[in-house]
Amino acid sequence: MELLTLSHVAKGFGEKEVLRDVSFTIPEHTVFGFVGQNGAGKTTTMKLILGLLLADRGEITLNGMPVCYGNTPTNRFVGYLPDVPEFYSYMTAVEYLRFCGEIAGMTKGEMENRSAELLCLVGLDKEKGRIKGFSRGMKQRLGIAQALFGRPKLLICDEPASALDPTGRRELLDILAAAKQQTTVLFSTHILSDVEHICDQVAFLHKGEIVLQGSVEEVCKSKKTAGTELETERPEDARMLLLEFPFLKPLEKKRLLLEEPERQWEILKFVADHRLALLRMEQREMDLEDLFLEVVGK
Amino acid sequence: MKAFLKKEWMEWKRTGRMLVLLLIFALFGIMNPAAAKLTPWLMETLSESLADTGLVTTTVTVDAMTSWVQFYKNIPMTLLVFVLLCSGTFTGEYQRGTLIPVVTKGLSRRKILASKSLLLSGGWTALYLIGFGITYVYNAYFWDNSIAKNLLFAAVCNWLFGVWVIAFLVFFSTVAQNSAQVMLETGGVVMGIYLLHMFPRFQTFLPAKLIEGLALLQGAESPESYYAAMTAAGVSIVLCMAASVVCFDQKRL
Repeated sequence: MELLTLSHVAKGFGEKEVLRDVSFTIPEHTVFGFVGQNGAGKTTTMKLILGLLLADRGEITLNGMPVCYGNTPTNRFVGYLPDVPEFYSYMTAVEYLRFCGEIAGMTKGEMENRSAELLCLVGLDKEKGRIKGFSRGMKQRLGIAQALFGRPKLLICDEPASALDPTGRRELLDILAAAKQQTTVLFSTHILSDVEHICDQVAFLHKGEIVLQGSVEEVCKSKKTAGTELETERPEDARMLLLEFPFLKPLEKKRLLLEEPERQWEILKFVADHRLALLRMEQREMDLEDLFLEVVGK
Repeated sequence: MKAFLKKEWMEWKRTGRMLVLLLIFALFGIMNPAAAKLTPWLMETLSESLADTGLVTTTVTVDAMTSWVQFYKNIPMTLLVFVLLCSGTFTGEYQRGTLIPVVTKGLSRRKILASKSLLLSGGWTALYLIGFGITYVYNAYFWDNSIAKNLLFAAVCNWLFGVWVIAFLVFFSTVAQNSAQVMLETGGVVMGIYLLHMFPRFQTFLPAKLIEGLALLQGAESPESYYAAMTAAGVSIVLCMAASVVCFDQKRL
């Protein structure tokens, strides 16, 4: 079942049109990576889903209900982690989570169990001080705990790993991957290796439109291979190949790139005839990063 | 709503706002009778130097009315301090983005608005009662409060004026982006009403009349002449709150 559907959504700020025509759907229990350059409109899209901004055109439905601007009832199903999370600095982490539980109408026992469980999960269980003394990374961790607190159907995270150290980032990705069992995750990022690690589905946002969308494998396969890489043992062999086959692209002294796979037999024949020492000949798979650079036209 | 009210209360306590306001209102309550009590002593001390300049001072008699005069002189200042300290109640949250996690958890904006308005008006009521109570008790101890007519009615009028100002503070908080704008706009409305109040034609029904408590105390005016201003204040409070609900529902957080 589709949990979230965006249909021809557009949003502009004054003269600037941030989103032109955005449509995508997220099925339940998937981790959906939302990729785009800085300023591509990822945060705007998320704020539209949360009813924090008014769309100029298009429709958004969450769990079968339309999202409306302002007081949207669909927020009952959502947990949100903003890009720069800010909380009441005079509260402690436990107090803040209790406050979240009270808003959600949880019982006292439920709140205490859930707080202990989540604070342990994000590594803040020993933190007794008030939030005003928290670093950005700690706020990000608390942000994840509060977003997951009410067991939301959809967890929306806006660049959740941006303020975390490498260990924290790894832990966060594990938390998001584990959360898939109970919830659906939509997270935006421009770190493509994170998407490859944990996402089932991915959408690339560029110039206000979704330029590529599908499962991570499908998206990678849909594009042609990036070419074949050749590595010789000696630099002079590489130079010889380059003289004979000028269509090869030099990458380094001993590495060359062949972008026309049908001509690889000619090269192999030349290598055999001249007894060149070939270390490696490998088909280069296009990863998300290559794909991203291709779709943004760089 | 209870959860947000609790959070607001915690904010008042832990940010020190409540303590500062409590001290100011208690000090204000003590200052009124103290100023009245000190006046004869002050005049006596100054009489010699004044005599040198040719001014002759006579014995000054003070009573509860002297203290109440001080009360009605100082109360606009305490209201101003209250507005200054509370002008960032909403805008501080917009600027820090702290309302976003709350709203995205499904808490209705109206409950947030109601909690904040309730605590602002409740805070004003409690602090006003403290200031008024201290002055009243001291006046009763030193002199006799029965000299002042319509004492409670005048106090209620003054309190209502405070609630009226708070209603505008809440309304402008749902429109403005920062606390400076809130203060400017609230101050602008109060100033505008004061200026209009100078014209005799408007005097009877403008809320600015509500702070003229002395005329009631001295018996120069009867409570009936304040009813129109009270009604006007009540109607504008209701209108302000209705407009606040509409604006806050649409507010970009």
